[in-house]
Amino acid sequence: MSRPTPAVGSEMTAMTRRVTQEQIAAYAEASGDRNPIHLDPEFARRVGLPGTIAHGMLEMAVLAEAVSRWAGGYDRLLELRCRFSKPLFPGDEITCTGRVVAVGAPPGTATLEVQATSGRGDRVLSGGRAVVRVET
Amino acid sequence: MPDASHVGRRFLASSQSVDAERVARFAAAVGGGGGAHEPGSVPPTFAAVYCLMPTLAQLFADPALGIELAGLIHAEQSFEWPEPVRVGDVIDSSAEIASVERRRGLVFVTVSLEAVTREGRTVCRGRSLLLLRGGEG
Repeated sequence: MSRPTPAVGSEMTAMTRRVTQEQIAAYAEASGDRNPIHLDPEFARRVGLPGTIAHGMLEMAVLAEAVSRWAGGYDRLLELRCRFSKPLFPGDEITCTGRVVAVGAPPGTATLEVQATSGRGDRVLSGGRAVVRVET
Repeated sequence: MPDASHVGRRFLASSQSVDAERVARFAAAVGGGGGAHEPGSVPPTFAAVYCLMPTLAQLFADPALGIELAGLIHAEQSFEWPEPVRVGDVIDSSAEIASVERRRGLVFVTVSLEAVTREGRTVCRGRSLLLLRGGEG
């Protein structure tokens, strides 16, 4: 895996994925989160949504993929946080982006501001922050 | 509805095994191709499987809390991974209600999470912010 050459202000390599209902169903099985809001359009409409929505944790998993890939592997991702600010609907694309905001605090790490935007322009993950290890 | 009297309530999920098949299924569901997944490696947010879900499922089902899934929003999540999780790890996870606040008709529940391997390695710490609709006042 390639090593980043992080400098404050440098951009994380963006990653875009389309999230289908099939993927949401697969994530529900794999994670054990079978809340019907993700699986049952009728149930989702009863709680005021236009239809099912992706798990926030699925979106966060995609964000973690984007950061880990950029950083050079899962073991380099030390911290990740985000706000699930807007729903992501099945069939939508999610694009994860980020920018290095600090290097070397703590030593050997880089801190990024990260977020994710849907194909319809909604900021689905906001307030995101990732800390990655940049030295072995 | 949860209230301040529930702060400190803990939910334990013991002996969560990180087996290769569960990891592969999870990585495939996230959409492994083109990501960082390599055979034998464990996606960081697999914490959903060994920590978040098995503890929060108990919290959601706790009759003392009376949480309605229909009114539940996972609003924020943070994780720290002090050490990598490996296939073969057996993990004891816990969740503890750290705070409960009522604001603007919503109940804000903050849950702190911890996952420790059988060998005593802390592999994950986290915090979930859950919003519950239907709180009065």
